Amino acid sequence: MNRKRSLLPKFYKSKRRCLNPINGDVIDHFEGENALSINDMPTDTSFSLQYLRHQFPVEKFEHQIPPIMMKHQVYSMVENRTIVDKHLNDLREEGMIKILRLGANADELCIVYTEDYTNHCLNIMKDKNIETSIIDKCKETILKTCKDISVDTETLMKDYLFTDKEITHLVISSILTARDIGSYWISIPNAGFFMKTFMKGRKVILTMLRRCKYKQILQTEMEQRKWPKLARLGIMYHISDIIGGDLVQRHQTTSGYLLRLKD
Amino acid sequence: MLKFLTSRESGSSDPSLLRRAEVTRRIYSLELSKHRDIEKSNALGVVNALDIDSIENRYLLSGGGNGGIAIHDLEDLPGEDKLRYRQICHIPNSSINAHKRSVETVQWYPLDTGLFTTSGTDKELKVWDTNKLLPADSYSFEGIIYSHHMSPVSTKHSLIAVGCEKSTIKLIDLRAGSYSQMLKGHKSAVLCVKWSTRDEFILASGSSDNGVLLWDIRKAKGSIMSLDQHNGEAASAHNKVKTAHNGRVNGLCFTDDGLHLVTFGTDNRLRLWNTNTGKNSLVNYGSISNDGRKSLGISVTTGNCPDVIMVPDDSNLMLFNLHEGTRIKILRGHYNQVNCCVYHCDKQELYSGGNDRNILVWLPSTDDVYENCIKINSKEKSNFTSRIAATTDTWSDEDD
Repeated sequence: MNRKRSLLPKFYKSKRRCLNPINGDVIDHFEGENALSINDMPTDTSFSLQYLRHQFPVEKFEHQIPPIMMKHQVYSMVENRTIVDKHLNDLREEGMIKILRLGANADELCIVYTEDYTNHCLNIMKDKNIETSIIDKCKETILKTCKDISVDTETLMKDYLFTDKEITHLVISSILTARDIGSYWISIPNAGFFMKTFMKGRKVILTMLRRCKYKQILQTEMEQRKWPKLARLGIMYHISDIIGGDLVQRHQTTSGYLLRLKD
Repeated sequence: MLKFLTSRESGSSDPSLLRRAEVTRRIYSLELSKHRDIEKSNALGVVNALDIDSIENRYLLSGGGNGGIAIHDLEDLPGEDKLRYRQICHIPNSSINAHKRSVETVQWYPLDTGLFTTSGTDKELKVWDTNKLLPADSYSFEGIIYSHHMSPVSTKHSLIAVGCEKSTIKLIDLRAGSYSQMLKGHKSAVLCVKWSTRDEFILASGSSDNGVLLWDIRKAKGSIMSLDQHNGEAASAHNKVKTAHNGRVNGLCFTDDGLHLVTFGTDNRLRLWNTNTGKNSLVNYGSISNDGRKSLGISVTTGNCPDVIMVPDDSNLMLFNLHEGTRIKILRGHYNQVNCCVYHCDKQELYSGGNDRNILVWLPSTDDVYENCIKINSKEKSNFTSRIAATTDTWSDEDD
C-alpha cells in the first residue's frame, strides 16, 4: 500500500514499450526537406513563449511597446527550470529572441522576439528623426547580432564602428542606457511605460492575495475576480508572473491549482 | 526490485546496478522517522553543527549554541518499541574546558575517532581527546571563527583550514602545533571553507564579499581561481570583480567524487560548479530562502544514480536532483531554522539539527514497516496485563 504513494526513481516505474517509433517510418519515406526530425520540432519552451506573446495585449498600450515577456513566466509553464534556461539560451544564440535586463534586480530578465524589437526600435528612431546612417548601422549590429544584455564602449566603437556622437543619439532614443562609465545596457525604448503598469498589476494581485483568508485562493477563483482597468496587462499575465517568480506557491488540489502567498 | 535481483542472479546485469537502484529508492522515500529518534542532550542548546566519523560511520558529533558538545552512538539502539540513539558522552557548557560561547563547526579527525576539533564564536579552535574529553590543544584567533575543515583524503599533510572574521584563511598544522600558512585573497569575512574530496591540496572558501575562491595550498602567491557566476559574460568594463553569488556565500559542499562544487548564498540561490574549469553549470534550483547569518551545512548523497543534494531552506529540508535541478522532496519537521544536515551513506539516513534544539532522524519509509511490526509485537506482550488494568474501575453497581 505504501509503495503506490511513495516517490519512485525513474527506473522503478514500469516502462511501456514504444510500438510505433515516431520517426522510423517517416524518415524512410520522405527524405530531404519534408522530413521533420526530432531536432526541428519546437520545444515546450518556445511554444510557451509564443503563447505568452499571443496573450500580450498590444492594443491596450496603443502599439507603443512590443510584446515583452518576463523570463520567469516560462518557469510557471514548463516543469524543469534548467531545461528552460538551456532552451532560452539556444534561442538567443540563434537570434530568435533577445534577453534584456529590465528591473533593478539582477534576476529580472525579460524576453522580446527579435522581430518585434527591431520593428519597434526602427519606429522609435524614425519618430525621433535620427539619421538613416545611424539607423542602418544600428539595425545591422545591435538589433540583430549583439547577443548580450550589455555592451561596452570599446565594442561599440571598434567592432560596430560607432562614433561618440552616434552613441549619444542612441542613448537619446533609449536603445542604450548608461550602466557605469564604460558600458551600456541594451534596453527597450518606452520600457518605462511597461514597467509602470507591470509593477502596478503585480501590486494589485499581491494585495488581492493578502486580503484572502489564510492568504490562499484557487487559481480559477482568482481568474474570475474583478481586475482594475489601469493594470492593463491582464490577470493571466500576472498570475504566471507571480508563480514563476516564486512569490507564491502553487499546490495541486482536488479542485484545481491553489495559490498560497509565500511569507 | 525483484527484477533487479533476478537479473543479478542470472548475471545479465552488473551487481552494482542493484545496489544503486535500491539506494536511490531509499533516498527518494526519506521521511521523518516515527519510531527512532536521537536522545535529547541537555548539553546542547541550539544545534549548530553535526558530523559523522568517516571511519566506521558510527558516531554522531554535535556542537551546540551554548558551547556544549555531545556524541551519540548510531549503532546502539536500546529500547523495544521506541528506538533511541543513545548519547555516549557530552561536554556541558559549564565545563572549564568548553567553549565560552557557541560552537559553530565540529569535525572528527578523518583517520581516527580518538580526536575531534571544534571551533566557535569565542575565537578559539580546540582539538579534543575523545577518550579523556579534554582539549589537547587550543588555538586563538583574532576574529570569530565561522568554519574550519580538515581534509578527508589527505595523507601528506594534516592541516586545518580556518575561516574567520578576518579575510585571511589560516592553515593550522596539527603536527607542528601552530599555524603554518596564510591564504590572502578575500576582501571580507570568510564564512565557510572546505577541502576537496578528490585532491588533498585543493581548498575552496566562500566569503561575505560574494566570492568563492579555489586555492592550491602549494601555490605561493594566491588563489588558483575565483568562481564567476556569469562565466565571463556580462562583465562591465570597469567592474571586473568576479562574484559567485549576489549575496554572501555561506554554504559549500564538494560532491563525493570531487568533480563538482555546490555553493549556497544569501541571494537565495544554489549553484553547481565544475571544479576543474571553474564554470557555473547553470543548473536552476529555484529560490531557496537563506537567512545568512552563519554557515549552513549542506550535504550530497553518494552511491545513487541521480545525485541528490540536501539543503536547509528555513525550517524545511529540500532534496534536489543535483544535475538537473528538479526538486525531489520537501522534508518538514523542524520548528525553526535548520542549521546543518549530515547524510549517513551506509544506512541512507539523514540527520539534521536546527534552532529548535532538536536533532531529527529521517529514514527511508520502507524501514518503517519493519519498525511498525516490532512495535506491534512489543505491544501484544504487555497487552494482557494492561487490559485487565484498563477495565477495572472503582464504581460499584449496587445502590448503597
